[in-house]
Amino acid sequence: MLRVTGGTVYDPANGVDGLVQDLYIANGRIVDASAIADGARTIDATGMIVMPGGVDVHTHVAGGALNFARGLVPENQRAARKFLHRGDRRAGLGGMTPTTFATGYLYAGMGWTTVNEAAVPVLSARHTHEELHDIPLVDKTSLVLMANNEFVLDLLEAGEAERARHVVSWLVWAAKGYGIKAVNPGGVEAWKWGKNANTLHAPIEGYKTVTPAMIIEGLATIADDLQLPHPVHLHCNNLGVPGNFATTIETMNVLQGHRAHLAHLQFHAYGGDDWTTMRSESARVAEAFTANPTLTADAGAVLFGDAVTITADGPWQHLLYQLTGRKWGNLDVENETGCGIVPYVYKDRNLVNAVQWAVGLELLLLIDDPWRIFLTTDHPNGGCFWRYPEIIHMLMNAEFRREQVQQLPEKARQRIVLADLDREYTLSEVAIITSAGPARSLGLSRKGHLGVGADADITIYPSRPDHGFLFSYPRYVIKGGAIVVEEGDVREVVDGKEFIVRPACDERIEDYIRPLFEKVYTMSFANYPVEIERLRNPEVVVPEP
Amino acid sequence: MGGKITCTLGEVKNRADFIIYWGGNPAECHPRHFSKYTLTPKGKFVPEGRKGRTMVLVDIRETPSAKAADIFLQIRPGKDFEVATTLRALVKKQPVDPALVAETGLSVERLQDIVDRMKRARFGVIFFGMGVSMTRGKHMNSGAILSLTAEMNAFTKFVCMPMRGHGNVTGADVVLRWTTGYPFGVDLSRGYPRFNPGEFSTVDLLVRGDNDAALILGADPGATMPQPGIDHLARIPTIVLDPKVTHTSRLARVHITTAVTGVSAPGTSYRMDEIPLPLRPALKSPYPTDEEVIRRIRHAVAAKPAWTPAPSRMMAIA
Repeated sequence: MLRVTGGTVYDPANGVDGLVQDLYIANGRIVDASAIADGARTIDATGMIVMPGGVDVHTHVAGGALNFARGLVPENQRAARKFLHRGDRRAGLGGMTPTTFATGYLYAGMGWTTVNEAAVPVLSARHTHEELHDIPLVDKTSLVLMANNEFVLDLLEAGEAERARHVVSWLVWAAKGYGIKAVNPGGVEAWKWGKNANTLHAPIEGYKTVTPAMIIEGLATIADDLQLPHPVHLHCNNLGVPGNFATTIETMNVLQGHRAHLAHLQFHAYGGDDWTTMRSESARVAEAFTANPTLTADAGAVLFGDAVTITADGPWQHLLYQLTGRKWGNLDVENETGCGIVPYVYKDRNLVNAVQWAVGLELLLLIDDPWRIFLTTDHPNGGCFWRYPEIIHMLMNAEFRREQVQQLPEKARQRIVLADLDREYTLSEVAIITSAGPARSLGLSRKGHLGVGADADITIYPSRPDHGFLFSYPRYVIKGGAIVVEEGDVREVVDGKEFIVRPACDERIEDYIRPLFEKVYTMSFANYPVEIERLRNPEVVVPEP
Repeated sequence: MGGKITCTLGEVKNRADFIIYWGGNPAECHPRHFSKYTLTPKGKFVPEGRKGRTMVLVDIRETPSAKAADIFLQIRPGKDFEVATTLRALVKKQPVDPALVAETGLSVERLQDIVDRMKRARFGVIFFGMGVSMTRGKHMNSGAILSLTAEMNAFTKFVCMPMRGHGNVTGADVVLRWTTGYPFGVDLSRGYPRFNPGEFSTVDLLVRGDNDAALILGADPGATMPQPGIDHLARIPTIVLDPKVTHTSRLARVHITTAVTGVSAPGTSYRMDEIPLPLRPALKSPYPTDEEVIRRIRHAVAAKPAWTPAPSRMMAIA
């Protein structure tokens, strides 16, 4: 049992905006004061800021692709922050592709207590869960890659919507995932013949009728019909390409009326015709986005400096390799998806990078409703998650932002609108984009708030005048009722749990999948689904049909 | 430069119409490779099976694998780097010196024919073995093949894959990467992971005699390491966990018999394409699993008092 007294609480989900309140914790949950016995430990949070633990709606922290990246960049790992073995804290490395244990220490050390691994192939999901288990201190969810799965595409081609729904449902449970991820719908499938899908309404390589728009609409419908807690999580077509804002807006039209989450919107909001004319189109994307109230998005903001780009978007990564001439990793996964990895440096003297940097911040500032846009860097694509406090600082301080813009090349300043934006985030808005909003979008009802019954995931920051940077150094972090971080240092290591979804599914669908599987895959069908026993701390969510 | 362009084995089965094996003898070393993944299966987009595929073998001698190949390129020993680099040049239509190419044992015309076929392929793949990675040039040879593969993607779909073997070596590599950030040759003596092949890799530690104890799991270095390394293992306290008697267990101080993973112990094995397969034991074993033994050793070590001397004793010594 634990009391947190005298803190200034920001709990936007419950309408609490900077009130001095006491919190009571028992059995890992927030409880009523009456449930606490005398003599329970008390944290005196007087003068401090109390918020629900951060929730990362889109990150890449585990799985075949990230582990591939770790092996690809030992030179980055050597330069990374070291984590020394100490007590129950394991050795590891920080940096751009942190080791699993270090990932937990870094997230919790910053006050984040839930993360969503955004790209899991079913074929290697068993591996992803092994890694997720080795990330301590945070709870986890994971999304299953679907938009280039040939079983699903073949059914869409045949017009068998209902069977497609059962197959998707079966695959989510087979992977022990939490929801549906769609990456460059149709484009990754085309990449398997070295092609891409650039227009939403043209049939994709190898299919007569299936278009990216059909896949997007189909998966969004399925996610809605299955009542998944998190809607389809969409990485739009034409990521990173100048002029792609039109594709993004067209995608929103395709999605009209459906729930959907648009991932790393920054990478999808560019104007211009080529790399020399590229400019920000954040205003038009923000306007279209605001007009579609069933959508949420995360920023995918870019920070200057080193990054490693990791995405299932294979064709884009081939282009990036040709542009950079640096290392390139590619891993196509049979029947399901692909993945590409290119180490990258965002430079403030580079026109394209400067526009990217501005677009991420512009979207966060132009989209008025903080409940719909969330803080991410698409870690490690736009920058590392442990640099979130830098972004928060810029969101909270317009003057500081303008100083940064002044450092950019003149050419870049003409193509962005960041300097004209006066909005400054309040602490309550920061709590929404880092915790309450993403928790609501993920459908995690016990996360992102501090009401009675919520998981006791609480971050307590010291109050300082330069509000932005305080987020890098919490005074206390409480995870499931345990005080895991004090003064920015990990004090106790607890395991997180994994939330997995079991959507409604006609069990007979297995008889349909099995013969297809045996034809195209290279392992035994019995070895394909991840056994529930593999997950060491699962919490199964069953959506109401 | 560099990187790795690869795929899972099912992609090869379903799509590959042009297959190169380089510096390996899959017919004898990976006997199911042809029939499960690469040559004979009817793939989703290669419905003709073997007839729909062309196989090239590159090696220094005519092994039994050559019988399976449509084209056999016999190259001179130690010339893998030169051949791969010539192919890279021809792919990019760069001039090459026929006299230098002749030193590899092949002609420019022969290699140009291969390049033309590679470019005509819908989906090409190069599997490279230890004849590439463990001969003169070592990682430079692998690097040349990886670069060739990456550059081929400007023309058509091309991937490559190292032909890994030795039980679950891929699994060890995968787990080390997520726990330490590095695939092998990791040193934890400073309390955090450091990586330096040549310095911290097993063979180098043993040959130099740097380590003063060894715990060996799922490997038989006594059969494969250079003699000075084997001599060192015999000199120091070596502990072996193995279901059976091996060259290493014979020279070890302690041999703990363990259950056979996959037969009488459960576990996970990674294929060469890093896809994990669950192992379900068919039998029960009277012996403990490797995992159980390691866990018990770890707990026993953790229960011991810290090895650092107490301050008072240090004073006394001073």
